Amino acid sequence: MGASYPFPADRWYDRSTHMWACPTPEGEILVGIDLLGLESLGDLAYLTLPAEGTQVSRSRPAGSLEAAKMTGELISPVSGVVTARNTGAEKNPALVNHDPFGQGWMMKIRPDHWEKESKELVGGPDLGVWSQQEILRYKEQGWID
Amino acid sequence: MIPWRLVKEDGVAHDYGLAADEVMAVRAGEGTSPPTLRLYTYAPCALVGRFQTLGNEIHLDACQAMGLPVNRRPTGGGAIVMGPDQLGVALTLPGAGEDSWARARETMARFSLGLTQGLAALGIQAAFRGKNDIEAQGRKLAGLGIYRAPSGGMLFHASLLVGLDVAHMLRVLNTPFEKITDKEISQVAARTATVRELAGRSDLTLEETRERVADGYRKEFGVSLSQGAYTPEEQTQIRALQAEKYTQPSWVHQTVAVPDTFATAREKTPAGLLEVRVTRAGAVVKAVYIGGDFFAPEGAVADLEARLRWHSADPAAVEATLRAAHAAHANELAALPLEPLAKAVATAVRLAGGGEARDAALYGCFLNPDGQALPV
Repeated sequence: MGASYPFPADRWYDRSTHMWACPTPEGEILVGIDLLGLESLGDLAYLTLPAEGTQVSRSRPAGSLEAAKMTGELISPVSGVVTARNTGAEKNPALVNHDPFGQGWMMKIRPDHWEKESKELVGGPDLGVWSQQEILRYKEQGWID
Repeated sequence: MIPWRLVKEDGVAHDYGLAADEVMAVRAGEGTSPPTLRLYTYAPCALVGRFQTLGNEIHLDACQAMGLPVNRRPTGGGAIVMGPDQLGVALTLPGAGEDSWARARETMARFSLGLTQGLAALGIQAAFRGKNDIEAQGRKLAGLGIYRAPSGGMLFHASLLVGLDVAHMLRVLNTPFEKITDKEISQVAARTATVRELAGRSDLTLEETRERVADGYRKEFGVSLSQGAYTPEEQTQIRALQAEKYTQPSWVHQTVAVPDTFATAREKTPAGLLEVRVTRAGAVVKAVYIGGDFFAPEGAVADLEARLRWHSADPAAVEATLRAAHAAHANELAALPLEPLAKAVATAVRLAGGGEARDAALYGCFLNPDGQALPV
């Protein structure tokens, strides 16, 4: 039996990058990467995140990483201003692999257009079907067991 | 048959060459440039990996004295010297579209097959190993890297040693050697390999190697290769990225939050002293060196090292991998018992991750030499 790939239902997911966006009670958005995204990358060794105050745009690079399988850019799932970055994850990127939905969060963003952009992400009632399809697609491609 | 463009260039400037690789990856992802196989050489330069700290990896004073430029690749891995005897291989593919996307998500092993097939045509049996190496006879022949652009485009890059001036490399790359004598040069030469040496042909040209590598990709991926050049639009974009990124100190001299650290552990075994040296980047083991007085086939030891390269530093995971690797070479490693080896590896991994570790300045792409040991 293979590993399980949970998609917590309290957040939204970018279909192409597997970055997640989770609204906080303060109206900000926590951002991280889900388990399938991590499967594509492998163990993270380096992570750079945008400084507080940086303006980021949805679907544009907001940071960069080196992982076991490649280097690449972190693509922001939402537009807005970065209000915090997880310096603990920058110093110890393994946090992202070990706890991608918790301690492995990457940055917090004060969103510009959450209502509009959240509709471009997957969440709520659509999440179950999409996540199962994604897991199946990854298995069929041989990317996960 | 899928058409790929073949671009041949020689003696390109470091900042131009790096910009061209990145632009081609971006444009391949956008669908504005075709899949491109670029086989090229740089004018002499030294390049560090995406997240390396320049001063840790390269003798900047020596480079300045030699007039040797330095820069930073978009791909990961270690520091390298490039010049007329090192063939750069840059394959850029789109990240959208079903077939190509599937290919882009495959591992470096897949993309290295064109290279190994080309080497086979020169009589060299080489294979992908670990995170990012192509090795032959247990010796490193090429370093590999993958960069995924925001557009989804993918750059697979390899640096193939057609020839190598080891003494020059040791002058440029920062190593733990206190002085560089013939002994150090011989030691590093024994751990690296060149195409000329393995092919047994000192007269082998870079051009012939390039042709064989092109043939390798053509056959392995079932594509047609048409030689071409960059379009004016591509050239404009390359020049722009060259100016705004690859000539900028903010890119070339950037630092990272996770410094490389290393430690060495020694264990006595019935066969003699065993020494294990580990380089870590945070919670990841980047490189392992196993040396000492024992006798074991170089390929078996190299396989142990390769399996632990770019591995989680979690002690249980390290031990599990080591046990499996040792079991796979049980007969060859009879003189290198598992228990003291596992103990030395565990100690070195632990020390490299703790406050006792020192900043490492010895993680070159083509060498992982012995160095000064920490007391254990």
